[in-house]
Amino acid sequence: MDFMNTVKAALVTAALVLPVLPQTGLASSGGPPLPQEDWSFKGIFGQFDQAALKRGAKVTIEVCLGCHSIKYIKFDHLRQFGFTEAEVSEMAGGAGLTKQDKLVSGLAPADAKESFGLVPPDLSLMTKARKGYEDYTFAILTGYLTEEDTALVDAAKEDGTLSPEEITKLASALHMDPHHPEKIDEAVKRIANGDHFNKYFPGNFLAMPAPLSAGAVTYADGTEATVKQLAKDVTTFLAWAAEPTQTERKSTGHKVILYLIVLTAMLYAVKRRIWARVHH
Amino acid sequence: MFKGIMEWVDERLPVTELIKSQATEYPTPKNLNYWWNFGSLALFVLIIQLVTGIFLAMHYKPDAALAFDSVEHIMRDVNWGWLLRYLHANGATAFFVMIYIHILRGMYYGSHRKPREILWWFGVIIFFALMGTAFMGYVLPWGQMSYWGAAVITNLVSALPVVGQDLVVWVWGGFAVGDPTLNRFFALHFLLPFVVFGLVILHMWALHAVHSNNPDGIDLEEKDTIPFHPYFTIKDLYGVGVFLIVFCAFVFYNPNFFLEPDNYIQADPMKTPAHIVPEWYFLPFYAVLRSIDFLGTMSKLVGVIAMGAAIAILFILPFLDRSPVRSFRYRPISRALFWIFVVDCFVLGWVGYNPADATVFGGMPIIYVGRTATAIYFSYFALLWLVTALKVEKPQPVPKSL
Ligand code: HEC
Ligand code: HEM
Repeated sequence: MDFMNTVKAALVTAALVLPVLPQTGLASSGGPPLPQEDWSFKGIFGQFDQAALKRGAKVTIEVCLGCHSIKYIKFDHLRQFGFTEAEVSEMAGGAGLTKQDKLVSGLAPADAKESFGLVPPDLSLMTKARKGYEDYTFAILTGYLTEEDTALVDAAKEDGTLSPEEITKLASALHMDPHHPEKIDEAVKRIANGDHFNKYFPGNFLAMPAPLSAGAVTYADGTEATVKQLAKDVTTFLAWAAEPTQTERKSTGHKVILYLIVLTAMLYAVKRRIWARVHH
Repeated sequence: MFKGIMEWVDERLPVTELIKSQATEYPTPKNLNYWWNFGSLALFVLIIQLVTGIFLAMHYKPDAALAFDSVEHIMRDVNWGWLLRYLHANGATAFFVMIYIHILRGMYYGSHRKPREILWWFGVIIFFALMGTAFMGYVLPWGQMSYWGAAVITNLVSALPVVGQDLVVWVWGGFAVGDPTLNRFFALHFLLPFVVFGLVILHMWALHAVHSNNPDGIDLEEKDTIPFHPYFTIKDLYGVGVFLIVFCAFVFYNPNFFLEPDNYIQADPMKTPAHIVPEWYFLPFYAVLRSIDFLGTMSKLVGVIAMGAAIAILFILPFLDRSPVRSFRYRPISRALFWIFVVDCFVLGWVGYNPADATVFGGMPIIYVGRTATAIYFSYFALLWLVTALKVEKPQPVPKSL
């Protein structure tokens, strides 16, 4: 029954390893691999970095709320990670709302349709609603063209045709396939046209202009507001907003699993004891 | 005091007698291995689903405009609501893991063979009912995958000749999947698990009439059996403990492992997701359905029939196997066929997960893999019959008793 034992071993290993594997940022189908950040809240012992949550809430309210709602969260909920009642009221006031209000964008859906052709998606569940999870949200926020990339594109479009050398450079800058120069050419034309290019968005062009720029908000704790920092803080906040109960979930899990392991070990001991009486 | 009451009851309804003969002293083979734990585990998961389901139903709203929000309300505002929902959603997955192992166990050790055919049939009916329940349950959160999964699968009804078109409108309660569909699916999703529960009782009745099979697949003498209690009560409890550790690890640490990200986007009838996939437990059958694509306008109908047949063929399995020996332990050819079949099911699952027009191994359309795997799936049953009916297989010597 060697084969059976191999099957059993495989099943047991899968059962033990799969649940504790982090949900990693698998590249959303076909796109380039997503950047991998260290997230404070990931893993079975992960906890939210409270300072990052506070910074992220500020960026979300001051920047993203201009277009997106986070409709499952009320301003008052933000007190759960350390804001005072006065601070919460002040942030709500800044958006023309009160602390009992939900984080609803001031941008009316009809106006959004007019400006962007669609209503920006609600961000409450964003980090759960895309393959790649939080890595995807972070990738979208940091996946716009850098100044160097833009310079490269500008240089390329000046002379009209793309040289093989330019194609190689552009392919690596835009994370596109060098074997499809016609697609790169088309992308360059659309970028020149003012369309928003993003390395990680499926199909590369989306209706959202780059929402973050260095110094977009002034952090109360003095952290330098680079694009990467802003993106990381917003994403942390959105991961919290997607499931505010996740910290409670994991800490309950530790107790439950510890209890079950002790219980099961005892059941096993009793089982051995009882079965010792049976002669095979 | 308690004894007095029991005597009073027993004179009117022989409860003690029933517990003794059917539970505590019920004779059970002493050589059962751990693959025999999965029946009691399936029952345990059914109870988890019933209990969590009832509590979810107290907060859930079966209305296309409210359903998605009500699930998030459960996740965020209801006390322990996140636990209820994650137990229930992962419970469905656990149920199928248990059931698949339970069915394969039966196929390997010949548990469906005479005199256990009726017992086996109840099992297959439970499997059908479970698939229906899980399919309709998955529609309830009203996410993108709920909606589009429901659209793709209910659309299959329209493949039926003559009545198909009218029937699918009747099923939907409209001209597309919509609010009426959600409402009736909720009613049925509430009802079916109790039907399953009733079927489980019939399954147990049939079991207790003929008693358990065992890994040697032989008819046992009295000396080879032991009372269910305490031997199997403790063994099954230990199994529940191990199961709960793994199950809770998913529920508490990786609860979305088996859920599609797309289902956290509210259903939008105007926006088809790039890639519609059913839950993992339907994938092999979904692959069978899609592998029939070469019959022109008949493809859909034949695909649906093939998909149904892939499960329904289990009904006649007891009669396909003609070997004098039940257990594959003593049947090398059947054993080899069995493992090919198991691997084939995984291949079908993988094909079902991929888009229909995907290519694999450097350019080969995946549909070829799907067709081959479908052919292998059905060949298992044909070959098992041939190998045993024509006595190609020479079983190894089987012990007379333990
Ligand atoms: C100027 C308006 C505007 C602002 C400000 C804005 N967004 Fe967006 N966002 C949009 C629009 C429009 C879309 C829809 C893009 C599309 O689908 O083409 C979008 C889409 C998205 C998406 C979804 C991409 C996908 O895969 O569908 C994410 C994530 C996102 N925004 C995050 C943010 C975050 C985080 C902020 C704040 C830092 C933000 N946005 C600020 C307009 C905006
Ligand atoms: C055979 C047992 C059952 C199975 C296999 C099953 C399966 C499922 C599945 C797969 C879902 C979708 C989960 C998700 O993705 O969120 C679901 C949802 C739901 N089920 Fe069940 N279920 C069972 C029993 C029950 C029972 C007995 C009830 C109530 C009496 C019930 C009530 C609900 C409700 C209210 C929802 C919607 C909430 C949600 O989506 O989490 N279920 N079920």
